[in-house]
Amino acid sequence: MVSKDFDHTVPFRQVTNAAGNIIARYPIVVATLIGPTGQRRNLPLLFDTGADVTTLIHTLYPLLGLHSWDEGIAEQSGTANGMTTVYRYMVDLELFGKFIRCPVHLSQGLQANPIFMGLLGRDTIFNEFGFGFWEITQDLYITANP
Amino acid sequence: MKVRKDFIRNLMKIIDSVPTEATSSKEILVHLDRLGIEWYVTKTGDLGIKYWQILSGFVSEEDAAVIRAECPSTPEGSQMDWLSENLQSIQERYAGQWIAIGNNAIIASALTLPELLTLIEDIDNPFITFIPSEPPIWSFTYGIKGF
Repeated sequence: MVSKDFDHTVPFRQVTNAAGNIIARYPIVVATLIGPTGQRRNLPLLFDTGADVTTLIHTLYPLLGLHSWDEGIAEQSGTANGMTTVYRYMVDLELFGKFIRCPVHLSQGLQANPIFMGLLGRDTIFNEFGFGFWEITQDLYITANP
Repeated sequence: MKVRKDFIRNLMKIIDSVPTEATSSKEILVHLDRLGIEWYVTKTGDLGIKYWQILSGFVSEEDAAVIRAECPSTPEGSQMDWLSENLQSIQERYAGQWIAIGNNAIIASALTLPELLTLIEDIDNPFITFIPSEPPIWSFTYGIKGF
């Protein structure tokens, strides 16, 4: 019998307004982006099973060692506001103790948000982990040995 | 943090379910059904079971907050916790700026990301985010409104 045990727990992060009321709760995962010179920067990403590819806000392009956000391979991507052009790059990430080389999109279609700088999408990354999305406990459970 | 008797009874029921004397796959599945443990068999013949069991009413929400706060967090998780807890004051002070967080504090801020990266060049694993000037939209995809 194979036991699908989880070895990481990420509590949903809550956002409160000035009155202290909770206005949103999000499953946020912190990924370490390893730049071309080996520098490591931590970025908050929204766990998003609806995102085919991990997508970052386009203004993060300096972290990838780029001079502009649109140097990569142009692709079309569906968003809530319709189709938009995104640019594809390969990056190195560290996530839950694993080093992963995976594609990312830089997109102008993401709204700037202080608690996440992009979407953690499925391509490559979801092959490396198993996820348990537990709404009632407001936790995201993760195994690095799916 | 007193635990109710009915909670203890439920917990014992689940712990007792761990050993089984079943000898065939069918008996095991019947046994799991009897105990209310959800299972599935994959195309490759593996058995999946819901390993976690949620028992409601363990402690109050206030006690739960204390227990969860005492759980060890990763350094990356701590940075995220700190941002989430201090978001209001950070938004008021750093609107329109890129910020870097480390050791539960803002360690640098700048109007552009290249400027910020210059300021934090020698710092390991800073947490980077942008604080927009406009109020962010919260009620999409995973927002709690409409639940």
